[in-house]
Amino acid sequence: MQSIHYDNLQETLYYEAMDNGLHVYVLPKPGFQKTYATFATKYGSVDNHFRVEGQNEVRVPDGIAHFLEHKMFEEPEGDIFAKFASSGASANAFTSFDQTVYLFSATENIKDNLETLIDFVQNPYFTDQNVEKEKGIIGQEINMYQDNPDWRAYFGLIEALYKEHPVRIDIAGTVESIGTITKEDLYTCYNAFYHPSNMLLFVVGGVDPEETMEWVRSNQARKSYEKQGSIERLFEPEPQEVAQKRKESRLAVSLPKCLFGFKEKQVGLTGEEQLKRDLTTKIMLDLLFGSSTELYQKLYDEDLISDSFGHEYNSSPQYAFSAVGGDTKDPDLLLSRIREEVDRLKSAGFQAADFERARKKKMGGYLRMLNSPENIAHEFTRYQFRGADLFKVLPVYESITLEDVNQRLAEHVDWEQMAVSVVLSPA
Amino acid sequence: MTKAEFEHGVAGGIRIHVLPTRRFKTFAISLYAGTPLAEDTVTSTALTPFVLRRGTVSYPETRAFRERLEQLYGAGFGFDVYKRGDYQIVHFRMDTINDSFVQSPESLLASSFSFLGEAFTQPVLENGAFRKSYVMTERDTVRKKLESIVNDKIRYAAERCIEVMCKNEPYRLHPLGERKDLDGITPEGLYEAYQAWLQQSSLDLYVVGDTSLEEVKALVEQHFKLNRTAEVEYAPSVIRQAAGEAETVIEQLDINQGKLNMGLRGSITYGDDDYVSALMYNGILGGYPHSKLFVNVREKASLAYYASSRYDGHKGIATIQSGIEVQNFDQAVDIIRKQLDDMAAGAITDLELSQTKAMIRNVIKEMQDSAFEIIAYDFNRQLSGRERSPDDMLAQVAEVSVDDVKKAAEAFTLDTIYFLKGQKEE
Repeated sequence: MQSIHYDNLQETLYYEAMDNGLHVYVLPKPGFQKTYATFATKYGSVDNHFRVEGQNEVRVPDGIAHFLEHKMFEEPEGDIFAKFASSGASANAFTSFDQTVYLFSATENIKDNLETLIDFVQNPYFTDQNVEKEKGIIGQEINMYQDNPDWRAYFGLIEALYKEHPVRIDIAGTVESIGTITKEDLYTCYNAFYHPSNMLLFVVGGVDPEETMEWVRSNQARKSYEKQGSIERLFEPEPQEVAQKRKESRLAVSLPKCLFGFKEKQVGLTGEEQLKRDLTTKIMLDLLFGSSTELYQKLYDEDLISDSFGHEYNSSPQYAFSAVGGDTKDPDLLLSRIREEVDRLKSAGFQAADFERARKKKMGGYLRMLNSPENIAHEFTRYQFRGADLFKVLPVYESITLEDVNQRLAEHVDWEQMAVSVVLSPA
Repeated sequence: MTKAEFEHGVAGGIRIHVLPTRRFKTFAISLYAGTPLAEDTVTSTALTPFVLRRGTVSYPETRAFRERLEQLYGAGFGFDVYKRGDYQIVHFRMDTINDSFVQSPESLLASSFSFLGEAFTQPVLENGAFRKSYVMTERDTVRKKLESIVNDKIRYAAERCIEVMCKNEPYRLHPLGERKDLDGITPEGLYEAYQAWLQQSSLDLYVVGDTSLEEVKALVEQHFKLNRTAEVEYAPSVIRQAAGEAETVIEQLDINQGKLNMGLRGSITYGDDDYVSALMYNGILGGYPHSKLFVNVREKASLAYYASSRYDGHKGIATIQSGIEVQNFDQAVDIIRKQLDDMAAGAITDLELSQTKAMIRNVIKEMQDSAFEIIAYDFNRQLSGRERSPDDMLAQVAEVSVDDVKKAAEAFTLDTIYFLKGQKEE
């Protein structure tokens, strides 16, 4: 077991790779009542076409990673939620574009709960009958999201930005695509992506690191895994330009929703290089669109934006895009005003004092995030899967310069790379 | 379980509660201002914090006000307006990092108090009233927020259910007030209402972090310019009985999925001895994934993705919510009614009882890891007048029997069934 001390954060992280390849991290939080554990596989909605070394190429229905996540909770002896409840643990799971995460939080019976988490995820149990039953439940989940205008605006934007890349597919799939899923499909995906070497266990809270590591060690020693070759994820080539400039959806809303974003031209970054670009982009977006900017205040006073106006940046080695917007009475006017003001900023560049303040704000936000065991576990795993270290964020922030941010502004905010998604009430 | 306890004091007519601890990387500050929900004040009270966040005497322009927060290492500052029982609560929060993690030339706690105190008590004024442009813009902001409730269909249906069920009492009011009142609010009228609110509301100020009661009292006296002489106590909510047969209300909107909501009248609130039994009732019925609603509506009948219940312990009412296909309405209502009947008949297994106890125990203990949750829990005591420490609560949960839950079930009566469905059907 290795220990890594981060002096500036007053945190010590413990790490060990199990013999079967599972990566295990433990972050003790002395004085905390709760233990929070996540067991994650680097497998999400975008992984719908792949080949495991030495095996055939496989293409699977949209939404299957999320479907698999639902079905993992069923075991021959019944529903796993009940088992967690008996030990006082609150369990859950979620699927994103590139990972599936199973988790629990508990204040007692930590060993039992940790074993339950590891065991249920390492024990698939799919039958024709339980797969069919789940289609009704997930169908309702899909319908629920269809009624959510923010979700529609967000996925509308990604669909407009990306022509081929499966990031454009709704994480849960469609009622039609999940209708074709069989238990054999589920086992295929499970066997490819749930091998320990593709997974990461993170435990944070009031635990002893050596004791916790030993629980995992002996649990894994009881199971046998054959070595698995590498997983090749197959993607159609994605053109550099956006798929469509504007996408409209119809749903009853009090005001139109307008979300726009820029598709990154350069992809393929990993590790610290990607982390630095991420953080620089986030500072840049905050300097353009944050609630203390001149632009924000002008648009707010012009009644073109509301408190709902926000921005984010989403990136992976294969895709990266920003998403900016919110409710507005007039999407077209909003966009033309933004273009006007942003072009002005693009030629002038940002001010040093504004940059320093924005960077300070981001660093403070990062430290505040570290108060939450949940956020630490989620963010740490996300960073690791992309080859970066969550606990090395502060030095990266410190290395970013005003020039970096100005350069990012010139690069990223390229109107040719922009798409818009609008949600309007039915005509 | 809890080694650390709040230290309580009073400064300037504000109740002060401080939990000194080094567990967090931040100082968490909460200021609660509570007033009884009432038709003639609900909208002006809701609008007030929106105007306060626009500018102060030192930072009259909104950009400067927000830049100041960024200088404090992006201190979190926000507010929320919500209902607790028959009270409208305006809750300001600040979340500032502890200086020891950064090289800050100023004390971030003192600077945060200076900021919050001024935001609360020293707004920028114009002709002896709030700045007109701020009032006008924020009226629009609140209007948009009220109008946007319909965008989130799950929330919209939940709020409509409460409006229908509580149509004859203040609890029907939305915490952000009523659209029709907004146009009549002037900078002068709002400033007058604000001053009355400063005087008459119940004020509680909480801090969790590496500080002391003495330090916080001194900071409050220095930065909160209030002329209050005494604290104002909260009064318990009024309990109303359900009226005979449950009323069913069906409405239509352009949606894909039907939203089914039910409201139950209850007579047990946080101040009562059997509060914990009511909490267990809600937990067994629909609080968790092992609960009757989740298991029967979702897992067995495959009718829904979500099916759960919630209990407002300050008002004493419980609500049920689920998203279903429109044609499954009768079947879903039958299944849910069956669960309510089973609860009232005491058809509760020992396993359901022990699992729910374990889950509630976990929730209570987990709260201790979040500064704002520690604060929110203690605030229940101010609202209800009932002292129930986390340890007391744990002990009381351990004692609850199936009979106690059955007794609590008898205190709940189905009052309203609200269904929101699409316009295309039928």
